[in-house]
Amino acid sequence: MSNDHDTEATIPLLEARSVAKSYGPVVALRSADLAVRPGEIHALLGANGAGKSTLVKALSGVFPPTAGEIVIAGDTVRLRKPSDALARGIATVFQDPALVPDLTVSQNLALTGVDESLVTPWLEQVGLAGLQRDLLVREIPLEQLRLIDLARALAGDPQVLLLDEITAALPADQAEHVFGIMQHWRDRGRAVLFITHRLAEVRRMCDRATVLRDGRDVASLDPRAGSESTLIEAMLGDEVVATADRTERSLALDSQVALEARGLSSGDKVNDVSFQIRAGEIVGIAALEGQGQERLFDLLSGDRRPSDGEIFTEGKPLRALSPYDAVQRGVVLVPSDRLLGLLPQQSVRSNIGLPLYRRARTWLGLDSDEPARVDDAIERLDIDTRAQRQVNRLSGGNQQKVVIARWLATGFRTLLCFDPTRGIDLQTKRQLYELLRELADDGAAILLYTSELPEIPLVCDRVLVLYDGKIVAEQDAADATEESMLSAAHGLGVSA
Amino acid sequence: MSTVTDELATSDPAVAGAIPHSRSWRRLLVRHGWTIGVWVLLALLIVWYSTLIPSFGSFQMASIAKNSLPLVFLALGQAVIVIAGGVDLSIGAQMVLASVVAARYMDEQPFAATLAVGVGVVILLAMVNGTVGLIVYTSKVPDIVVTLATSFIISGAALWVLPSPGGGTSAGFRAMFTGSEFGSGENFWPPIVVIAVSTTVVALVLRRTRTGLSLYAVGSDSTAAYLSGVGLRRSKVTSYAIGGALAGMAGLATIAITGSGDPRASVGANATLNSVAAIVLGGIALTGGVGSVVGAVAAAIILFFLNPILSAMKFDPNTAQVIQGVLIIVVMMIAGLLERRRRRAE
Repeated sequence: MSNDHDTEATIPLLEARSVAKSYGPVVALRSADLAVRPGEIHALLGANGAGKSTLVKALSGVFPPTAGEIVIAGDTVRLRKPSDALARGIATVFQDPALVPDLTVSQNLALTGVDESLVTPWLEQVGLAGLQRDLLVREIPLEQLRLIDLARALAGDPQVLLLDEITAALPADQAEHVFGIMQHWRDRGRAVLFITHRLAEVRRMCDRATVLRDGRDVASLDPRAGSESTLIEAMLGDEVVATADRTERSLALDSQVALEARGLSSGDKVNDVSFQIRAGEIVGIAALEGQGQERLFDLLSGDRRPSDGEIFTEGKPLRALSPYDAVQRGVVLVPSDRLLGLLPQQSVRSNIGLPLYRRARTWLGLDSDEPARVDDAIERLDIDTRAQRQVNRLSGGNQQKVVIARWLATGFRTLLCFDPTRGIDLQTKRQLYELLRELADDGAAILLYTSELPEIPLVCDRVLVLYDGKIVAEQDAADATEESMLSAAHGLGVSA
Repeated sequence: MSTVTDELATSDPAVAGAIPHSRSWRRLLVRHGWTIGVWVLLALLIVWYSTLIPSFGSFQMASIAKNSLPLVFLALGQAVIVIAGGVDLSIGAQMVLASVVAARYMDEQPFAATLAVGVGVVILLAMVNGTVGLIVYTSKVPDIVVTLATSFIISGAALWVLPSPGGGTSAGFRAMFTGSEFGSGENFWPPIVVIAVSTTVVALVLRRTRTGLSLYAVGSDSTAAYLSGVGLRRSKVTSYAIGGALAGMAGLATIAITGSGDPRASVGANATLNSVAAIVLGGIALTGGVGSVVGAVAAAIILFFLNPILSAMKFDPNTAQVIQGVLIIVVMMIAGLLERRRRRAE
């Protein structure tokens, strides 16, 4: 635990003073002050687009700030490149791991000049003792890459550890490894700057929190004092915070089956999975990391053909050779990696209008309803179109809305959502979930996988628990609790 | 909630099992399958060629080995640049420049002096092309545009140095690359040793040194490389400088084979295209970061070797060109299909 009385007296290990960053006319960070003191875990909070990632990048030397100064252990420094920050004991684990995909783990360590023997104990600490170092980075799942990146950062024995969204999509047990390390760092009198959207983690782990809003620091507070809503209010300002209560939805039992899987299998990843989703129903998938959920969504979205079993849409078999065939039959995917499905350099409008281009009329410029369809989708989803020009300037939440808007403009019957809220702030998350409910009320069938287990009962009507490629439990969302889902997800059977 | 997860965290077999696992020999085979395949193809072609012509002996071996030298060096150079995420359309022009500079200053000189000129040429070319790399980095203009422009400049410079074919080198210098003081003989060891040594050196530098790994890193994901502490400008300049040095070696090999300099730009333009074909056939991704120079070398030898094979099969040279192009496409298509099948099987 930190000693709140004498922290004020000590020199901060890392300080930002009025740091600002703009890219041409676009201002990413207006003016941020931040002080990370020895022996504390400091949370950096803010809605998407508040400037958290920008501040982290400035502090770790990715780019120099446009204005303001960075002070490390009392010395004002100019960080020109990431290795400058590293040399001064500031190590960062970025949201996208800084590991080169076509090199092996060992080669990546050699590239940074890190002694592999120093990394080994930390790999064991984060639960990756069995990792084969001659695997290419591209063969390793993202969650593990974050942990490898963390182990590499720890090997340099940094004074301050900057962790940007490291626990996003990390299963609970692996997050515990990270928390253990954070506590260890605090106990050694060093410091951690921790960025997360999970407020429960902040209240549990952090000694102080700095809140950013619209590119400024608006509050510095003790996250344990007050409730979660204190933090949310600081993050969102005067905007009204709607509570995410579960509203009971009545479902017509005789509505049509929109999507059905019968005995679906794929290698050893998915094993004999059968289920039905009716029109107007939201079905949740609960699973730990790597239980076959990725493959299941690949199969349903037509990205991959099953080795066994069949998929039916409205009772007719769907043998998709590519996602195109699935889209034709009204089965569309919202992936967790927003940019996977978007053209980042293109405008919001052309991204939304993209699938409409398969129609020859649009292609010939004769289509009259395309602008109307796109406008309709933008309005319905309340997309922030200030960054009209390019999708890659939008925040993550707005990018996710663009993906959904595209399918709205195209028309669909079944929406497959794979962890759509990964790394998205609370407000946008709520909007997204409300949107899913609205779409279901309008008759869409929705299959939702989310790594944030507590959200499933709030959004879904029914929960399927996936373990080792098989559906091991089916629960009514009204009866499902986090504990009952977790124990099923660990293959322990439903105790409830 | 935390107590539940604490308990579960200690007794969870699923996570350990989720770490990707595969047998190392199978992985090596998959990862280096393409390189091995290209070398096997080369071996098969040599065996087949030996049955095509009336007599196959050390003279033919020496001829194939020495004549493929220029393309081997160019492929090595192009490979280094492409692996680091660039592409150099001036590499053939650089080879021409190197050969004419060498021809002009080595003419009538003793062996020691020609050797010194040779070293100077390689250093000169490394510096020239390192500068090109710097221009590419600073201007942010695509590699393909900058190097297309510099290819014209370099071709012109070659004509300044040596306006018409001529010049020469020492007999010892010719023997060093070709095994014969006249550029053609029975001793096939010198060219084979030159190929083996230069390939090994480049491959080891790329895979075993931090500089080499940083070239792969920049080509694979420049953002991740930058965040890992790799200097992007340094990598660009280094890759182009190495490419230039190897183009210089290609020029030296050319003059060792022919005995005189030839400043025609068309020689260089052809050589550039062949170098790109060789690395693609050798399994190096044009997008950067992937592939091995060892495969590119075998592909370069194959590309040269197709000429004698097709003429032994009595194709006229025009038809031979068409066949060469078709072969490249067919091989790449087969590769693409195999890759897709492998992905699907996984």
